Amino acid sequence: MRGGGRILDLIKEVLQTSFRLFPWPTEPGLRRIGRPDRSSPVLLTGNYDLSVRRLLRVLEGHDAWLLVAPSGGINVWCAAAGGQLTTHQVVTALKTSGVADQVDHRRVILPQLAATGVLALDVFRRTRWSLRFGPVHMRDLPAYLASQEKTDAMRRVLFPLVDRLQMAVMWAAPIMLVLGGAALWLKPDWVLPLGLLIASMSVAVFTLYDRLGTARRGGLATASVAASVAATVLAGGSGLAIGAAVLAPTLLTALLTFDYTGSTPLEGGSHFEERKWSITLDTERCEGVYRCWEVCPEACFEKREEVRKVELAHDERCIRCGACVVQCPEDALFFQDESGARIEPDVIRRYKLNLLGQRSIEAG
Amino acid sequence: MSSLALMRWLEGTPERYDAGMRALTLGRVAMLHAAVAEASVREPGDRVLEIGCGTGAVTQRLCARGARVTAIDQAPEMIEQAMARVRPSHAGPVTWLEQTASEIDRLPAGEFDAVVLSLCLSDMSPGERSWVLKRATERLAPGGRLIAADEVRAPAGWRRAAQVLWRIPQAAIGWLLVGSLSRPVPNLCDEIRATGLPIRSQTCWLLGSLQLVVAQRAA
Repeated sequence: MRGGGRILDLIKEVLQTSFRLFPWPTEPGLRRIGRPDRSSPVLLTGNYDLSVRRLLRVLEGHDAWLLVAPSGGINVWCAAAGGQLTTHQVVTALKTSGVADQVDHRRVILPQLAATGVLALDVFRRTRWSLRFGPVHMRDLPAYLASQEKTDAMRRVLFPLVDRLQMAVMWAAPIMLVLGGAALWLKPDWVLPLGLLIASMSVAVFTLYDRLGTARRGGLATASVAASVAATVLAGGSGLAIGAAVLAPTLLTALLTFDYTGSTPLEGGSHFEERKWSITLDTERCEGVYRCWEVCPEACFEKREEVRKVELAHDERCIRCGACVVQCPEDALFFQDESGARIEPDVIRRYKLNLLGQRSIEAG
Repeated sequence: MSSLALMRWLEGTPERYDAGMRALTLGRVAMLHAAVAEASVREPGDRVLEIGCGTGAVTQRLCARGARVTAIDQAPEMIEQAMARVRPSHAGPVTWLEQTASEIDRLPAGEFDAVVLSLCLSDMSPGERSWVLKRATERLAPGGRLIAADEVRAPAGWRRAAQVLWRIPQAAIGWLLVGSLSRPVPNLCDEIRATGLPIRSQTCWLLGSLQLVVAQRAA
């Protein structure tokens, strides 16, 4: 890559990482990685520019077809849960991109986190392409392509520090832009302390919050208020500034920890659920297809090859993403609460994201 | 995923979609719908394929003119809304199909008197658009017409400048209300000509940024 291209790429990377809360569309369609031939693997992703560019970097030196599906410029995980990357977009990409004219096989590899939105069986029925869910993280793709095997580590979402820091930046950048802009206009000397507060709180929330118990979470919020008030007083702040020093960290805590979707990357709980839904397996119905095992980001399932069944061995890890429920061709998985009330698979397929408790509303 | 949640809350329902479309076109969308229906049905009993029926605004008008409509949309909630809207004014039979435009090749070729693409081409990528237009053309019976209506790039000069300025807030409103980032079709007429169909007529609204194109297969 030329120097100019590299600088542009770096600028894009910084901008898109900071503002990844927003869609960054890139042109959908078929792209070549290296010099693919008629037997090269076909990989599918959404048309989120940040992912596509990172994917091209990760796969440098490989030969493959990259099929960019129209996902509204949104990343795969969010788009799959939000309805922008569903069976329809995958069918559209497979049929209109001309990929079928380029390869002799009919196998397409999707990121595992597309499993909440894209129904593998339905894609096959509509296009005769068989769909496999590859690793969660693109960094595992080279190893996956080489071995054709998905290790346990490739399946798990572990949310390591680097991912957490990216989340912190993603939230801090737009908040800083809005609040910092307002402060610059109204109270220019508040810009720096406000910026520091937003940055430190974002990092604290995304690195610590889910590792603390409920009581200590309150402690984190209180500590942030105390620290910001103390800093303001030390700097000789007036009554108004002290008021802001109480209000700002309180609002930030609410904004950063609010669970909009029924589960966050930090935890699988939900503030909207009055009842506690648990993933439930009807072993009678299970035919040992193991799609659930393939797509579970928490490795809740274990294969029982000798009886061709799956075992729900670690349901305590479940984050209720619903991927297993969506994919099960036998409808053997569903959510159930202690009273025996159920959320059926079709409701999960429709409301992939448990937005504002939508699934429970549907369950009645 | 929180950003997405916020977005999903703002977008998505058919009512918000309709309100969004009215706001974005300064109310011109109703004129467009009426013109599309008028161009699509020559006589009662015409077989019309409507790609991307949305909330059924055009479907309703096609039915009122006595067309036998096959309406497809990928969103089940849109189809539900369209069914509820069309039923009271029901004149001709409607076949509802929950599928994408990329699946119209499963419908019989040469069977439709008109294929309607109303405000759906601008949601597609250029590659998808050319695929869909080609297959749409193949669905037409001899003498059948392709009716495409969409947001297009305004003619160069002050009208283009006005469109760009208007689209800046519109992109924000559109993203919030409709939840999509549609782009105007650069040259709708050229894309239709590329399918081999001659263009019969074109009509424009809103400084040339909304366009209705009618093309016809030889009889």
